[in-house]
Amino acid sequence: MDLVNTLNLSHYLNLAAIEIGEHLYWEIGNLKLHGQVFLVSWFVILILVIVSFLATKNIQRIPSGIQNFMEYILDFIRGLAKDQIGEKEYRPWVPFIGTLFLFIFVSNWSGALIPWKLIEIPEGELAAPTLDINTTVAFALLTSGAYFYAGLKKKGLAYFADYAQPSPIMVPFRAIEDFTRPLSLSFRLFGNILADELAVGVLVLLVPLFIPLPLMLLGLFTSAIQALIFATLAASYIGEAMEVHGEEH
Amino acid sequence: MTQWILLAAETAEGGGLFDLDATLPLMAIQFLILAWVLNKLLYSPLGKAIDDRAGYVQGQLSSAKDKKANTLAIAQQYEQELKDVRKESQQVIAQAQAEAQKIVSDQVQQAQQEVIVERQKASEEIETERADAFAYLEQKVEALSNQIVEKFV
Repeated sequence: MDLVNTLNLSHYLNLAAIEIGEHLYWEIGNLKLHGQVFLVSWFVILILVIVSFLATKNIQRIPSGIQNFMEYILDFIRGLAKDQIGEKEYRPWVPFIGTLFLFIFVSNWSGALIPWKLIEIPEGELAAPTLDINTTVAFALLTSGAYFYAGLKKKGLAYFADYAQPSPIMVPFRAIEDFTRPLSLSFRLFGNILADELAVGVLVLLVPLFIPLPLMLLGLFTSAIQALIFATLAASYIGEAMEVHGEEH
Repeated sequence: MTQWILLAAETAEGGGLFDLDATLPLMAIQFLILAWVLNKLLYSPLGKAIDDRAGYVQGQLSSAKDKKANTLAIAQQYEQELKDVRKESQQVIAQAQAEAQKIVSDQVQQAQQEVIVERQKASEEIETERADAFAYLEQKVEALSNQIVEKFV
């Protein structure tokens, strides 16, 4: 506790101070919200919406500039969804998977690239929304819901009968998997981003200049990979839920 | 370091690292709204543009293929026609040469015949001239011999 206090109180090292587990609370009725998460997530949403708007404002057959860039990204997302879900069924899932990827990616990078700490807020500090467990759990639960929805919509209640494929021994494992999947999804993302933030923060605290740069670059890489992993796993769960047994490749 | 994180997780009153609250459902709702908005704003129009372009390229490609096949057929037809025309022209040339040859030989023959006829006529004329000349000479000889006879007798 002393250590935390000394770190926060050392004014000339204010840039490098690390605050964890402190939140800017907003209260709506008797609901408590983490304000800093929403502030940065709105910033991320704003970026995504503005870029999307600019990219599709004036669609050309021969793309250039930002349209070209966003088409590249959309092609990438479609390829990801197509690989995991399959040519026939992937299209309705592109918005879900694409938004997962884009939101997590832009969140992570904004957390790594923008010095949010310079903006003072009364409590806690601004950081990537994915640095908050609420965000990652929300996405993980949405992913669970998405693959249950996909499976049930495709196969009806026969979806649960597939738990006994290829043998009834699989039933408990499959059932446990339904709980471990959101858990691992949310904690993987949360843990990686938190670890990166902490490592960079501590290093900046010790050596403010230049030395943390390689670690920051590594952080950018990890951030991108985590977004990719989350989106790929979500797509793969959805694809698996819709897979028809006996028709596997 | 671990101690420090644990401290932070434990000590913040009503907070901490694993503080789940209403942020979670609101974030989920916000995410779904974002997905919907981005679908309207980004995925649909841009996906449509990509698909349209793919269709356009496919169409262009197949029409180009058609055109190529067409062109090849036309070229082949032209080549065939060219071959025919060449053959025909050769025939015409051969025919013309044959005709010319015939004309030449005809003319030559005719000329030769004419020459023969002329020659014959000329030799006949020479013959008559000669006969005439002999006759005249005989006459002269007779007259002279008569005169000589008269002078001597």
